Amino acid sequence: MRENLFGRPEMARAWEGFKPGRWCETIDVRDFIQSNYTPYYGDEGFLAEPTARTASLWSRVNDLIQEEVRNKTIKVDLERFSGIDNFPPGYIDQDKEIIVGLQTDEPLKRIMNPYGGFRMLKNSLDAYGLQMDPEMEARFNEYRKTHNQGVFDAYTQEMRKVRSAGLLTGLPDAYGRGRIIGDYRRVALYGVDYLKERREQDKANLTGPATEEIIRLREEMTEQIRALEAMKSMAAKYGFDIGRPAQNAQEAVQWLYFAYLAAVKENNGAAMSLGRNTAFLDIYIERDLQRGILDEQAAQELVDQLVIKLRLVRHLRTPEYDELFAGDPTWVTEAIGGMGEDGRPLVTKTAYRFLHTLTNLGTSPEPNMTVLWSTELPRSFKEYCAAMSIKTASIQYENDDLMRPIYGDDYAIACCVSAMRVGKDMQFFGARANLAKALLYAINGGYDELKRDKNTGAPVQVLPGIERNTQEVLDYETVLASFKQVMDQLAEVYVNTMNTIHYMHDKYAYEAGQMALHDPHVHRYIAFGLAGLSIAADSLSAIKYAKVKPIRDEYGIAVDFEVEGEFPRYGNDDDRVDQIAVEINQYFMEALRRHPAYRGAEHTLSLLTITSNVVYGQKTGATPDGRKKGEPFAPGANPMNGADKLGALASLNSVAKLPYRQVNQDGISNTFTIVPSALGKNMAERVTNLTNIMDGYFGRGAFHLNVNVLDRELLLDAMEHPEKYPNLTIRVSGYAVRFNRLKREHQLDVINRTFHEAV
Amino acid sequence: MHGFVHSIETMGLVDGPGTRTIFFLQGCPLRCAYCHNPDTQRRGGGQLLTPEEVLKTVERYRSYYGEEGGVTFSGGEPLLQGEFLHACLQILKREGYNTCVDTSGFGDPRYYRRILPLVDTLLLDVKAFDRASFAELTAVDGFAAYMNFLTDLEENGFRGQIWVRHVMVPGFTDNEESMRRFIELIRPIWKRVDRIEILPYHTSGVEKYARLGLPYRLEGVEPMDKQKAKELEVYANKIFAQGLREERQAYAEKKQEKFTQGRDKAASDLGRSALLSVLRGLPLFGDLAEEDVEDVLQQVILADIKEGEYIFKTGDPPEFMYLIYQGQMKIFVNTMDGEEQIFYIYRDGDFVGGLNLLVQTPYRYIGQALTDCKVVVIPKAAFDKYFYDSPVVLRSVLVKSFERIRWAEDLIQRLATSNASMKTAGLLLKLAKRIGQETQEGIRLELSMNREELGNYSGLRRETITRKLGEFKELGYIELVGNKVIIIKDLEALESYVL
Repeated sequence: MRENLFGRPEMARAWEGFKPGRWCETIDVRDFIQSNYTPYYGDEGFLAEPTARTASLWSRVNDLIQEEVRNKTIKVDLERFSGIDNFPPGYIDQDKEIIVGLQTDEPLKRIMNPYGGFRMLKNSLDAYGLQMDPEMEARFNEYRKTHNQGVFDAYTQEMRKVRSAGLLTGLPDAYGRGRIIGDYRRVALYGVDYLKERREQDKANLTGPATEEIIRLREEMTEQIRALEAMKSMAAKYGFDIGRPAQNAQEAVQWLYFAYLAAVKENNGAAMSLGRNTAFLDIYIERDLQRGILDEQAAQELVDQLVIKLRLVRHLRTPEYDELFAGDPTWVTEAIGGMGEDGRPLVTKTAYRFLHTLTNLGTSPEPNMTVLWSTELPRSFKEYCAAMSIKTASIQYENDDLMRPIYGDDYAIACCVSAMRVGKDMQFFGARANLAKALLYAINGGYDELKRDKNTGAPVQVLPGIERNTQEVLDYETVLASFKQVMDQLAEVYVNTMNTIHYMHDKYAYEAGQMALHDPHVHRYIAFGLAGLSIAADSLSAIKYAKVKPIRDEYGIAVDFEVEGEFPRYGNDDDRVDQIAVEINQYFMEALRRHPAYRGAEHTLSLLTITSNVVYGQKTGATPDGRKKGEPFAPGANPMNGADKLGALASLNSVAKLPYRQVNQDGISNTFTIVPSALGKNMAERVTNLTNIMDGYFGRGAFHLNVNVLDRELLLDAMEHPEKYPNLTIRVSGYAVRFNRLKREHQLDVINRTFHEAV
Repeated sequence: MHGFVHSIETMGLVDGPGTRTIFFLQGCPLRCAYCHNPDTQRRGGGQLLTPEEVLKTVERYRSYYGEEGGVTFSGGEPLLQGEFLHACLQILKREGYNTCVDTSGFGDPRYYRRILPLVDTLLLDVKAFDRASFAELTAVDGFAAYMNFLTDLEENGFRGQIWVRHVMVPGFTDNEESMRRFIELIRPIWKRVDRIEILPYHTSGVEKYARLGLPYRLEGVEPMDKQKAKELEVYANKIFAQGLREERQAYAEKKQEKFTQGRDKAASDLGRSALLSVLRGLPLFGDLAEEDVEDVLQQVILADIKEGEYIFKTGDPPEFMYLIYQGQMKIFVNTMDGEEQIFYIYRDGDFVGGLNLLVQTPYRYIGQALTDCKVVVIPKAAFDKYFYDSPVVLRSVLVKSFERIRWAEDLIQRLATSNASMKTAGLLLKLAKRIGQETQEGIRLELSMNREELGNYSGLRRETITRKLGEFKELGYIELVGNKVIIIKDLEALESYVL
């Protein structure tokens, strides 16, 4: 018989008016939501403008953000290392802040996190001419080892080779892996004291032989308990007792934010998602509205102020990192909407309030608003989202009807497209393999097409045992057979490399605060990725349906290709080539699965490049589809630029064929840019059309869509006159960026990408 | 059978309502100076497709169409490949697709009678407004033929809606006088016009001429200023609305005159007092005061209708309510294959037209005297004054008309004219009357209904009413504040559609 927590006085006070359920006996936030939330079927008519105080606070924050970008300088706390409770409290303008808490004692002041990799930290500081306290530096290096050092101690020659050739890139071996979503709601609903009590029990329950696994779990749980204590102490410095549960809406938002804040004080992972919180917070807001202690404007203010704080989250990065990812992305991803398993939409008024911050505070890349689209969602919500996309280009969409059968109705999105059940699943993030390059290895016998030995100038062999192709005209079956060999080898070294990285990350840079907000025993995913799928598919199609003659250099390396004749390209809803894309994708996934993953993790695979499609292009030679050396890849799972000849829906249909479940279950990113005048003659038509397009696309089983409604002329103008568009936001693969923070070659890539225009 | 298809656009969002798959057919007899697809002019060539392949293609995009979307045939001139187009439309209609044909009216006339009944929306290009400019622009002396195409649409069985489009070239038609001529020119099809668009001339097709080695006749002409084109589009719509209003007024006057002619005779036959008692005996007049009945009597027209005469026809505006106190009248439509489909025979004491007056919809059927009839004709003004708010009248109109007319309407819905502008404007006016508040900016309507309910209320689909509201906003007739507030800026313009 479990204890009914309602019997505890602090719980009874906090939960007054809530409908009890299983959630009162054990930690079960989903059950709390399902028992208490109010679906909203109406439209956006109820939304309120920002209060004067919030508008003024935002204006101050916006100035700070713009100033940092303009001056290209950053502030860093040089006297402390990262940690949940290592920083004094900080404020922007205390009188105007109804939700408080900053990563350090000042807004936008960044944290030094040495645990992922010390060199990365040092390089970041050097780039900005900053220096940490020399004694800290000396002490740390004398007594501590980092994740980065651990990984390189254990890397094999082969791993180093594929890494430096750029066959595997973006591996999290020198910085925080991120992509873990704590269930920050637990702090608000139960209070930290109860979470700690439960984790102590969990630890006590870990009995039996002291195997490596059990020992590690005990150590980790102890770390988690310490993290919870630190969280409580950190909040206490701001004057709040998060040991007890939140008693009203303001506290719920504040508690939740403290929990998230602990995560971004402790970690600097690439993607630090927020989770799925709108229906949860809506319950508290509804209760306060009923009680008459909150009105709509005050409710909106809570959400506005939370979002202001989320927009302030920063990590210390090297300028190269910022260039690669265009600004300071933090992937504070919030999943909004979706349907419940019982058929009620998980759309609440707070889902609207969250999206409404794009109106109240202006557009912004963060938080990364991700609408979980279901064809069953209320039409008014769909149309509101579509209208906000048209106005702000700041929203991405992911198919709830695909994810719900796998993850249930309380999952969230890590980073861009990675789904996981909140508090129950975690992910080992693993960047991506360059599939276009892998195809060239199949032709060049495992030699890299660009890399040359520094002394002899001879090509460098990266993968052994692949037969070099010497055909005058490439034969499809021959190339495909070698390509499969390359994929087999690549899959093996990829899994082994990832296992090494995550072993060391758990050991040297464990995310205790975030894992404290998970169940004691989590399900783990290990997320692999592919870049260049469209190039590989088009290239194989060219080899199969046209005549492809390699042009080889004196070493026999194919440095260019001559293509004679027509061939179907991915992006035209043509099964002849779309099926090639599906099959190589499936093949690679199966190859990965043959190699066991660290901690029994489940293999998944994404098609997502972020903005690195440009860099991949630079590092990859000419390909048989006619793409020249150095030309950018298409982002994510997008067809290549100009490949689609039948218009956008054919392109969407091609992407929709890629299999999500069991294959690309870590997400398939697709970016769609359309000119406003092509979307419809007026706003009303545009909203209807965009809504129908998304219903059609997701109805065909597609996974993701980034929607940009923009004029090319506007972007060209923004390139020349960045000062006119300080907040112009656009969606790129899986996230949003401020256009002005993109490097010029990225800007050009975006502008040169397919804009769907009226014919 | 094969068609020559130049290309396919799977995401057409501005060529017909909703999301549409567009097939650009090869071949055009005109050589318009501004043609931005000169590569489609040559007959033959392109991709060979069968109607079955067309169907197979569009099936892949059906999930994107929503309520209004579907398939558009453009070109080139799609009517040129008449046999192929007909076969495609037949197959598509059989499968329930919404169809749209984008034409300049120069095709293979042998197929018009078979094609046009299968078209839901006609995108009709109006090139020029007189013979000389038409010939100059298109290099074909075809103005008369074009006008025939327009006038014969109805006779050729076209029952859909028309989007009229005109490409505006600077220095040619970018003035108000041209817009007036434009609207006048399309007078024969006014009843079916759902949208009037001005497409500003652009130069993005020019480089194709160089590639094809063709001379470009508008060399040096600047692209049309979009803002100015927009203003003239608004102006053209205004002229159109005005025209509609005048036409309706003229019609009503003519009809009134006709009824009045018979009035003296009928009145003297029956005598005023007899008429009074007849009227009073009708339940409809039950709750009118004595002096009001007198007043109504002053306004009603007592008409003698001869056997075989028409009382009203499909598309007639709602101007009168008719009370039959002697004789019989049939209500019917002519079906597409020329059959007469009778719904009702009305006789003594029946009335018809009350619902049309109430909801401002034109007649969807024909009323014809089966025998010599005596009919009391109640003009709209009298109806509005005495009956519009009368619960007894409302109830009897509703009870009596609703079931009968409603099922009749459902039955003939596919055959009947439907004009979304009219319905939307009618709805707005009705709401203005009921819940409108006069404000500085205009008449403010605070709605309790969402778009879907508005649509149901006015007999339109949600996407259609959304589109029409957007369009009225563009034309400056209304302002939309969020989803729940509409401000009517130009009441008169709206009235033009429904009077």
